[in-house]
Amino acid sequence: MDAFLNTSFGITILTFIEALAIIVPVLILMAYVTYAERKVLAAMQLRKGPNIVGPFGLFQPFADAIKMMFKETVVPSGANKVLFFLGPMLTFGLAVLAWAVIPVNDGWAIAKINVGVLYLFAISSLGVYGVIIAGWASNSKYAFLGALRSAAQMVSYEVSMGFVMVTVLLCVGSLNLNDVVLAQQHIWFCIPLFPMFVIFFISTLAETNRSPFDLPEGESEIVAGFFVEYSAMAFALFFLGEYTNMILMSAMTSILFLGGWLAPFGIEPFTWIPGPIWLILKIVLVLFFFLWTRATFPRYRYDQLMRLGWKVFLPLSLLWLVLTAGALMLFGWLPHAV
Amino acid sequence: MAKVTVDGIVVEVPNGSNVLQACEAAGKEVPRFCYHERLSVAGNCRMCLVEIEKAPPKPFASCAYPVADGMVVHTDSAMVRKARRGVMEFLLINHPLDCPICDQGGECDLQDQAIGYGGDTSRYTENKRAVKDKNLGPLVKTVMTRCIQCTRCIRFATEIAGVPELGATARGESMEVGTYVEKALTSELSGNLIDICPVGALTSKPYAFVARPWELKKTDSVDVLDAVGANIRIDTRGPEVLRVLPRLNEDVNEEWLGDKSRFAVDGLKRRRLDACWVRRDGKLHKASWPEAFEAIAGKLKGLDGSRIGAAAGNLADAESLLALRDLMTALGSANLDCRQDAAAVDVARRDFYSFNTSIAGIEEADALLLIGTDPRAEAPLLNARIRKRWVAGKFPVAGIGPQADLTYNVEWLGNDPALLTGDHPFFQVLRDAKKPMLILGQGALARPDGAAVLAAAWKLAAETGMLLPDWHGFNVLHTAAARVGALDLRFLPGKGGKDLAAMLGGGVDALWLLGADEFDTGRIGASTFVVYQGHHGDRGAARADVILPGAAYTEKNATYVNTEGRVQRGFLAVQPPGEAREDWKVIRAFSQLIGRTLPYDTIEAVRARLEQANPVFARLDILPRFGAADTAGPAGDPAAVSNAPFVLPVANYYQTDVISRASPTMAQCTQTLRPALAVAAE
Amino acid sequence: MALLDRTARSLLMSELLSGMALTMKYAFKRKVTINYPYEKGPISPRFKGEHALRRYPNGEERCIACKLCEAVCPAQAITIEAEPRDDGSRRTTRYDIDMTKCIYCGLCEEACPVDAIVEGPNFEFATETREELFYDKAKLLANGDRWEPELAKRLELDAPYR
Repeated sequence: MDAFLNTSFGITILTFIEALAIIVPVLILMAYVTYAERKVLAAMQLRKGPNIVGPFGLFQPFADAIKMMFKETVVPSGANKVLFFLGPMLTFGLAVLAWAVIPVNDGWAIAKINVGVLYLFAISSLGVYGVIIAGWASNSKYAFLGALRSAAQMVSYEVSMGFVMVTVLLCVGSLNLNDVVLAQQHIWFCIPLFPMFVIFFISTLAETNRSPFDLPEGESEIVAGFFVEYSAMAFALFFLGEYTNMILMSAMTSILFLGGWLAPFGIEPFTWIPGPIWLILKIVLVLFFFLWTRATFPRYRYDQLMRLGWKVFLPLSLLWLVLTAGALMLFGWLPHAV
Repeated sequence: MAKVTVDGIVVEVPNGSNVLQACEAAGKEVPRFCYHERLSVAGNCRMCLVEIEKAPPKPFASCAYPVADGMVVHTDSAMVRKARRGVMEFLLINHPLDCPICDQGGECDLQDQAIGYGGDTSRYTENKRAVKDKNLGPLVKTVMTRCIQCTRCIRFATEIAGVPELGATARGESMEVGTYVEKALTSELSGNLIDICPVGALTSKPYAFVARPWELKKTDSVDVLDAVGANIRIDTRGPEVLRVLPRLNEDVNEEWLGDKSRFAVDGLKRRRLDACWVRRDGKLHKASWPEAFEAIAGKLKGLDGSRIGAAAGNLADAESLLALRDLMTALGSANLDCRQDAAAVDVARRDFYSFNTSIAGIEEADALLLIGTDPRAEAPLLNARIRKRWVAGKFPVAGIGPQADLTYNVEWLGNDPALLTGDHPFFQVLRDAKKPMLILGQGALARPDGAAVLAAAWKLAAETGMLLPDWHGFNVLHTAAARVGALDLRFLPGKGGKDLAAMLGGGVDALWLLGADEFDTGRIGASTFVVYQGHHGDRGAARADVILPGAAYTEKNATYVNTEGRVQRGFLAVQPPGEAREDWKVIRAFSQLIGRTLPYDTIEAVRARLEQANPVFARLDILPRFGAADTAGPAGDPAAVSNAPFVLPVANYYQTDVISRASPTMAQCTQTLRPALAVAAE
Repeated sequence: MALLDRTARSLLMSELLSGMALTMKYAFKRKVTINYPYEKGPISPRFKGEHALRRYPNGEERCIACKLCEAVCPAQAITIEAEPRDDGSRRTTRYDIDMTKCIYCGLCEEACPVDAIVEGPNFEFATETREELFYDKAKLLANGDRWEPELAKRLELDAPYR
């Protein structure tokens, strides 16, 4: 068995199975995020939300998926056909690709690479291409405008996100995500680095184009933004990509600040529950915050969005980075490379 | 003249006028039901109450109160309003609240005036009066419960129509208007009862429940079903002509209209030609315009002009007559005729073939001789004018021809044309009169010796002092609306041309009929190629080899000339059905196909050409009065008059043309009012 | 002081948090949704829904073709043609309502002198094709027969205010 697994074919099979083991739960989670979003929003608006398909409307995501599959894919006459379909595929593909480095338990990751954080950062930066391509290929002014907004917004918030991550990495001393989690065994980073945690969370909202930063798809101004011309499965791919990205960002938040798969406080009875469950619970908690903010806050104006990114978060995170580095140096708390 | 102050406005009205007329002159509207300008004053509705200063302190019925100089009238004082409200309440006591099912709704005097003077609730709790409906024949529907007993209908029938068949029986609440014994009204003007009835008691039977006035599109037009050229308003909804109403024209029809003109419009929806037909192998087949044109062009190719002929019908408009005449000229044909009845004419002068006295002029005449005519059947509106003159008094009327009931006293001299050439005591009456006139009917002209009769009549007119410098008493009464226009355009055999009789029986190889149906089509030669252009499938279409669908008078902008020579225009009210097109356009299109394009593309160009052809066409609607400048008579030997009796041209007033023959209402009228003719027709 | 206050509030995100607390509070409140196809909300007797032509209790149709509804209709959705029936009474031969034109203003029923055309309580008459919404007289009379108890009730309830 081991011998087989060491052949290149065996490694391929194994990786494939590992990938499935991560993608399938993510997609199921994604399906239920859409359901949860509708239910949570409904609850906060005194409504009931979906309750017809299945018990409590639990089969609603599948009904939607089937509907999407059977609808006609409308391609605008002036669209660039190749790019038009490349856009959603790229978006979804990249969102799934990032999961390769997410550790679900100690050492449980498809790719146990040393530069996991950089990989994640690179992948999420590429996500902008999907949006730009879709906006451009649609040959529609709304889509183009939405794509431009989206690109500007994602680029802006990646800067402060980067500083936040550097802060965390300073405290860890490694770019390996596994090490990041293990470094939080004593205390989760959300406590010492609380302001960074807040900035990171808000930046993820902007990074995933979620409310209150959903200007790229602002219905009241530019209809649906960069995917206004998309329908059926092409639209569904964008949808999948967006929600997978949300989960990915929640996972990153959990790993960077909430101790990943670690049980809270590291004491019984919390430790009885296996690590992956803890990770999922944390992801769900962060996702709930995503929905909660959506239910609470109105959309930002574009200039406010840019001001917040460049004039508030960037200086603030830079300041905190310097402070953290200074404190680490001053008290000699610098972690040693493992 | 009397000076009267109405609501502070000083007006001068002739002595003998009533207060209501003075109020009208001052521009004040006085509500009324029973009063009508053309009827005698009844003064029984009491709606026109006004207050007069320095008179007994009570409201006066203004229609029945003569004016006096210095009178001060108030039409809108508190007393007047209160009095009118009281009158209105009394009127509404017995008037049913059935406006929703009443055809008068929307154009009802009582409805309109109840808005101004009616209360919102009724204080009347007793039983309302109910009256049995009367059967007044196939045209007038009665709902006598709605009657407010204004007696306008009774006065109209007695005074204007001259058929004293309507009357009121009983008094007070039990008063009923009716025909004493149940019978249909025998007047040709009975439709006007519908117009003058201020409520919905008398309504149109064929139009019952069909439409509301607010749904209708109104188009001004001219009637063509007789030669009087009554001014009409065509009410249409969508593609349908729903009814025809008279339009006020004091010089022609006043505000009346004959029953045929009013009710024959349902014939416009039946037996219509709405597509081209071409005869192949003895059967007519539907065809397109190009196919039909090709069929005609193929036949005409190579035919000599003298072997081609054209005949115009009685409903043709001047534009299409001109176009057809020009087409025939272009084809080298002089075979033209507009007289299907072969009436004699002399077009050397216009006064040889028109009604020179003018219709309004009848009122000035003081003696009348009718020759071979029954104006009641040929032109009931003209007959109403004669009766109006006769009612005014001192108007001896005599007739030569078959006896007929003309609603006034006529001294029938006998049905012997030879009387014209001799002498008769009545001729002395004419000579003694200041403005005598004679009316020469088509019955006197459409006979072999027609030219002689024409000349004899002219001679008689000259002898009896009818042809004066300021009075022209010689009149020809036509029966066809197209006739005078066609004569003005000389739609007659040209030099060496054949008349209709000569064209029949193989006289021509190709015959173009422009709505000509009023002759025996069986007399057309068996080998003659017949093109029928018209709007109804009647005799002409049945014989035709090619049928070109045309527009009826409601479907085209067209010019007509009435028997007086008055040029009038009708306007398009609805589009022609199906493939049918305006007639002059059809002829113009055909002329292009055969390479002899007529020089006009627009109706304006056609009309410019009309004026060129005869300057009278420039004189729209106006007809100046003229005297007889030249007493030289028309061609014809007065002595050649035979003594064969005159035969009247119109046997059945209700069915004289293709439209009225297609009309079910007119068929019903024939059945009810001319039962002998109806049986004969079957 | 005010500046400090504002800065502190901004940095501590107190407004944002109180907003989130509010939405969370609402999440646990009683829901106001009516479970529509299974539950229905109350309808006023003046509710203007699908049209119907009513009959008298003896089965005679009420409409007398007065055309007032046609005249008053601001959307010109009503088309009426009339002629005398065999017994001489005034009846429609055609009574069409184009429900796609209708704006449900209710002027037709206000204009009707005999309470023939009414707008009933039914608002669930969606169709699969546009043509089905061109109601003719038969459809309207069938509506009247189907909804008569409700129609009579609502007229009775509204009568004191007319």
